[in-house]
Amino acid sequence: MTLSLSAQNVVKRYGGVVALSDGNLEVNSGEVVALIGANGSGKSTMSKVINGVVVLDRGQLLLDGKPVQFNSPHDAKQMGISTVFQELSLVPQMTVADNIWLTREPLGPGGVVNRKMVTAKTEELLALFAGTFKIDLRPDALVSELPPDEKQIVEILKAVSFNPRLLILDEATASLDSRQVQRLFELVAKWKTQDKAIVFVSHRMEEIFRIADRYSVLRNGKTVGAGAMKDITENDLVRLMVDKESVFSFSRAAAQQNQKPVCLEIKDLKTATLRGVEISVREGELVGIGGLQGQGQRDLLLSLFGDISFAGSIQYNGKPVHFRHPRQAMKHGFALVPGDRAREGLLYIRSILENMQLPSWARYGFLLKLGKARQDAANMGNSLNLKMAGLDEPVSSLSGGNAQKVVIGKWLMRQPSLLLLDDPTKGVDVGTKAEFYELLTRLCEEGKTILFYSSDDDELVGLCDRVLVLHDGKIQTELAGAALTKENLVAASLGVEHGGAQ
Amino acid sequence: MKRFYLSPPVAALLLAVILFLLSGLLPNGFGSDLNVARAQALNILRLSVFLGVIAAGQTLVIISGFEGIDLSAGSIVTLTAILTYVTVSGADEKVIPALLISLAVGGFIGFLNGAGITFLKISPFVMTLGMSGVVTGAIIIVNQGNVTGKVAPIMTRLIARPFSPEFPIPNALIIWLIFGFLMWLLLERTTFGKNLFAIGVNRVTAKLSGVNVTGMNLAVYSLAGALAGFGGFLVVGNTGVVMIQLGQPFLFPSIAAVAVGGTLLSGGKGSYWGTMAGAIVLTLITSLLTTMQMPDSVRRMVLGATLLLLISIYGRQRALRQ
Amino acid sequence: MKRFNLNALMTRNPALFALILLVLAIVVNYILQPNLFARDTLNSNMRVFLPIILLSVGQAVVILGGGIDISVGGIVSIVNTILATRVGLEGSPEAMWQYVAVSLLAGVLAGAINGFFIAYLRLQPIITTYATSFLYFGFALFILPNPGGGIPAQIASLYRNTSPLGLPLAFYVIAIVLGAWWYIRSTRYGNYLFAVGGKAQAAYETAVPVTLVQFSTYVISGLMAAFSGIAITMLSGSGNAEIGSAMTLNSITAVVIGGTAMSGGVGGVAGPIMGAITLGLIQNIISFAQINTWWETLVKALIIVIALATPGIINLFKITSQRAIGRPE
Repeated sequence: MTLSLSAQNVVKRYGGVVALSDGNLEVNSGEVVALIGANGSGKSTMSKVINGVVVLDRGQLLLDGKPVQFNSPHDAKQMGISTVFQELSLVPQMTVADNIWLTREPLGPGGVVNRKMVTAKTEELLALFAGTFKIDLRPDALVSELPPDEKQIVEILKAVSFNPRLLILDEATASLDSRQVQRLFELVAKWKTQDKAIVFVSHRMEEIFRIADRYSVLRNGKTVGAGAMKDITENDLVRLMVDKESVFSFSRAAAQQNQKPVCLEIKDLKTATLRGVEISVREGELVGIGGLQGQGQRDLLLSLFGDISFAGSIQYNGKPVHFRHPRQAMKHGFALVPGDRAREGLLYIRSILENMQLPSWARYGFLLKLGKARQDAANMGNSLNLKMAGLDEPVSSLSGGNAQKVVIGKWLMRQPSLLLLDDPTKGVDVGTKAEFYELLTRLCEEGKTILFYSSDDDELVGLCDRVLVLHDGKIQTELAGAALTKENLVAASLGVEHGGAQ
Repeated sequence: MKRFYLSPPVAALLLAVILFLLSGLLPNGFGSDLNVARAQALNILRLSVFLGVIAAGQTLVIISGFEGIDLSAGSIVTLTAILTYVTVSGADEKVIPALLISLAVGGFIGFLNGAGITFLKISPFVMTLGMSGVVTGAIIIVNQGNVTGKVAPIMTRLIARPFSPEFPIPNALIIWLIFGFLMWLLLERTTFGKNLFAIGVNRVTAKLSGVNVTGMNLAVYSLAGALAGFGGFLVVGNTGVVMIQLGQPFLFPSIAAVAVGGTLLSGGKGSYWGTMAGAIVLTLITSLLTTMQMPDSVRRMVLGATLLLLISIYGRQRALRQ
Repeated sequence: MKRFNLNALMTRNPALFALILLVLAIVVNYILQPNLFARDTLNSNMRVFLPIILLSVGQAVVILGGGIDISVGGIVSIVNTILATRVGLEGSPEAMWQYVAVSLLAGVLAGAINGFFIAYLRLQPIITTYATSFLYFGFALFILPNPGGGIPAQIASLYRNTSPLGLPLAFYVIAIVLGAWWYIRSTRYGNYLFAVGGKAQAAYETAVPVTLVQFSTYVISGLMAAFSGIAITMLSGSGNAEIGSAMTLNSITAVVIGGTAMSGGVGGVAGPIMGAITLGLIQNIISFAQINTWWETLVKALIIVIALATPGIINLFKITSQRAIGRPE
C-alpha cells in the first residue's frame, strides 16, 4: 500500500504562458506535503499534473519508482490518486449519498443498487465529521440544499470513499469553519498512520504549520525550496514565496498626499462573498484591491458596475447610487474591464472594430457612420499601440496583450471617469504590461479614478497609491506608503500578522 | 476552420447554379434552349422571393443566439394572408391598411413569443411551437370554413407580374432586392444589428458592455413576427387565394435556407444575403424534385437529410473534455 | 432546524404539482361528466390516453438526461404506416405480431440515429431531432402516401375490449411501464441518467460514461415512440402518415406539467404519466364544455401554452418574493 510519487522537472505551457518551468514535488506514504506558492506561482498547475487533469509538456512522473503517464483524471484514479477539487465535482440535483458513490454504488441482485448499504456506508463516512455540522448532514440531503461548508465536506468524503493511496487536498479548507478544519486534520493524522500520502495545497499559513510534515514552495513556475516543516519559520516561507530580484522595474512616482474630494464612498457592501466592505476613494486615486483569488474582488467590482445585486450603500460624487444594469453605471461614467477576457470582455468571433465600438454605436447615428467609427477606433488603437492586421480581423486573431488593449480601448473611447479593472494584465506579455502601467498612470494624472484588482502583487505594489487587502469577505488591511511592500502584501493576503522584512 | 475559404453565401449560390444546370439536363429540362432556360431561371428566382422573405425573420432570431428559432412563422404567414385577403376584398385603397394589419398582427404574435422566451424562460423552440398552435386556432376562427375576400389588382400587378415587357424581371424579385438591401442595412448599419450579433455571440459580454439584452430579445422576436406577416401579405398577393396550409410548407425550408446561407445556428454570425442564396437553393431543390416527379414524401426526406447534413458540417459543439 | 424550502420540496417531489393538477382535472371532468368512473367511460378514456402516455414516458427519459426529442411524432407515424400497410385489414394475427416486432426495431433504429448525431457528433438536440422529424414523417408518408390501410378488425377490437379483471388494459400497461422505470431508476444506470442530466461536467469528472448514457436515452425514446405507435394504430384501426404530428408537442407538455424540468436531472416518469392523463382529461373537458367548434382548436392550443408557461410563472414569483426579502439572488 505504500506509495511514493515524484514529479521531476515538470514543464507546462498554456498557449504562450509558461505555468511551470521547473516543477518538482515528492511525496511518500505516511506524510503530508504542503504545496505552497503565491498567486501565479504554478501551484494549481502542479496539482493538476499530478492528478491527471492536465498533461505535462516535459519532465516526468515517477510512481513507486516507475515512470507513469496520466492522460485523464481516470488514469490517476486507477493508480490510487484521488483529488478534492477546488471547483466541486458534485451534481447539485442528486443526494449526498448518490454523489459520493456515483459509479461505485454497491449492487444487489439484478443490478439494483443496495440502498441500505449506500446509506449505511455514507453514514459511516459522515460519522468521520460528526459533531461539526451546524445542521445535521444526512445521506439523503440534496447537494443543492447544502451550505458551502457541507458541500465541501461531501466533496472530501467523495474523494476519501475511494480509499486512495494519495489524496490531494486542493484548497479543501476554503469553506470550512474551524471545528471542521480541526476534524479534518485529525482524520489526516489518522490517514498518515494508514500509509496514505497527502498533498495539501493551501494558502493558510496557520493550517500549513499545523498539519504538514514537509513543504515544497513554487515561485514563478519553479520549485525554489523543499524541506521539513520543523526546519523553517513562517517568515522564511514568505520570503521563499516572494521574488526579491523581481524584474519589475516600474515604479510610479509617489503620489503627493491626495487632497482631492472623495468621489466614491462604499459602506457595508454585502454580497454572496462580501461580508461588509467599506471603501473611500478620492478623485484621481489609483487604488488597488489585493488578496487571494476568490475573496470577493470580482463581486466588489461587479456590484459597483450594476451587474449583480448587493446590499449596502454606495455614493458617487455625493449622490447615492445603486445600479441595476451596467447601462446605468455607464451613464455615470463607470467602466469595467472584466476578469475573464474571453468570456466577459470580448465577442470572440467578431471584428476588432465591432468589439471596440460595442458600447458606443449609438453615437454614430441611426444609419451608422462607419467611416467615423473606424477612424475613432483606429485612433484609439494607435494611441494604445495596438498591433493588428486590420480593424476587420476577428479579435481572436490577436495575442493576449493586444486583445486586452481592445477591451480597454472599448472603454477609453467613452472617456469614463471611474475605471474598474478586474485583473487586467492576466495573461498579458511583459511589454504590454509596461504600456498599461504608463497608461494607468497617465489616466490618474488626468483626474480619472481607478479601482484595480490584480493577482500580481508586484503590480499592486509598484502602481497603486494604496492597496486594500480583502480577506474573509472584508477589507482586513490597508497598505500605503512605506508599508506597501510585497512581503506585507503577501502576508496580509495569508492572514499573517507580521510581514517579512521589517 | 479547415475550409478553403469560400464564404457560405457564395458557396450556396454556386450550389444553386450547379443544381440549376443539372435540372436542365433532366428529361423535362431546358436542355440547350437558352430562352427556356432564362425563363425558368427567372421563375425560380421569383418563387424564391417568398421563401426568402419568410426566412428573413428566421435569420434574425437565429443570429440572436440562445437556440433562437421561430416555428410560428408558417402559421403567421397563413393568418396574415387571410387577414389581408379579407381586409382588401379587391379594393386598391385597402391595400396599405391590410399591409399594416399584417405587420401589426405578426409583430404582436412575435412579441408574445419574445415575452414567453425572455420572462418565462421557455425555450424558443417550445414557445414558438406552442404559439403556432394558438395561431392555427386563431386561423380557424377567422376562417370559419370559408372566407370571402379578394386580392386587389394593384397587389397582383406589383407582386405577381413582371416589371414590363422590355424588362421581364418579376416585380417580386425587385421587391426582394430592395428588401434584401434594407435587411443588410439593418444588420450591418444600425445599432440594432450590431447589438443583435453581440447577443448572439456572448450575452454576458453584451450585458457588460451596456446592451439591453432583454429589450433586444423582445424586439427581435417581434420583428421576426412582423416580417413573417409581411411574408404572408406577399404570398397572398402572389397566389390570390388562401388556404389553411398556405404558410406551413415554408417553415422548414426557411430554417434550412438560413443554415445553407452560412448563418451559424448557434448565433452571432451570418447575413441575409446568405439566406437569400439559401432560399434559392431550397427552392431549386423543391423544384427539381417536382420535375423529377418525386412525391411529397421524398421531398420531406430530402429536406430533413439536407438540414441534418448541414448541421453535421457547421454545427458541432464543444466536447466535454477541455 | 430545517427551514421549509419550497424549492427543495419541488425538487424532491416534482410529481406533486402534476398530482394536484390531475386531481383538479378529474374533479372538473367529473362535474361535467358524472359517469366518469363508470367502467365503459374509464376504458374508453384510458384507451385514448395510452398512446400519449407511452410517448411522454420516452420523452421524459430523454429530457431527464438533458436532451429533448422532437422526432417522436415522426416515429409514431412510421410505426403506424408500417402496420397499416404491411398487415392491412386482411392481415393475420401472426403478421401482426411480426410487424409489431419490426416496428419496435424501427423505433430503436430511429432513436439510435438521433442518439448518434447528438451524443457522438455532439449536435444540438433540438435542431437535430427537428431535422430527423422531417426525415421520419417523410418516410412515413413514403410508406403510405394517402390515409388508408389498417389492421385486422379482430385485433383492434382486442385492444378495445380487453379489460382483465374489469380494469382497462391501459392500467396494466401503465403499471408495467412504471415497474420498468422503478427498476431502471434503482440501478446504477438510473444514477448515471440523473447525473448526466443534472450536471454533465461533474458526471464526466466522476468517470460516468456520458456519451453512452445520452445515446441510450434516445434509443429508449425511440422504443417508447414505437410502442405508442402500436397503441395508436390499435386505437384508430387505420393508417395515416400525419397521425403523429400533434403528439410531439403534447408529449413535451405532459413532461413539463409532470414536473420534470426541461433542464434535466430532476423528475421521473410518474409525473409525466399523470401529466399525459391530465392533458387528455382537459381535452375531454373542452369537448364537454361545448365550446363553439371554431374555437376549440384555439382553446386547446392556449391550454398547452399556459401549461408550458407554468414553471416559468412559478419561477417568476419565486424571484420577486426573494427580491422582496432583500436576499441577493
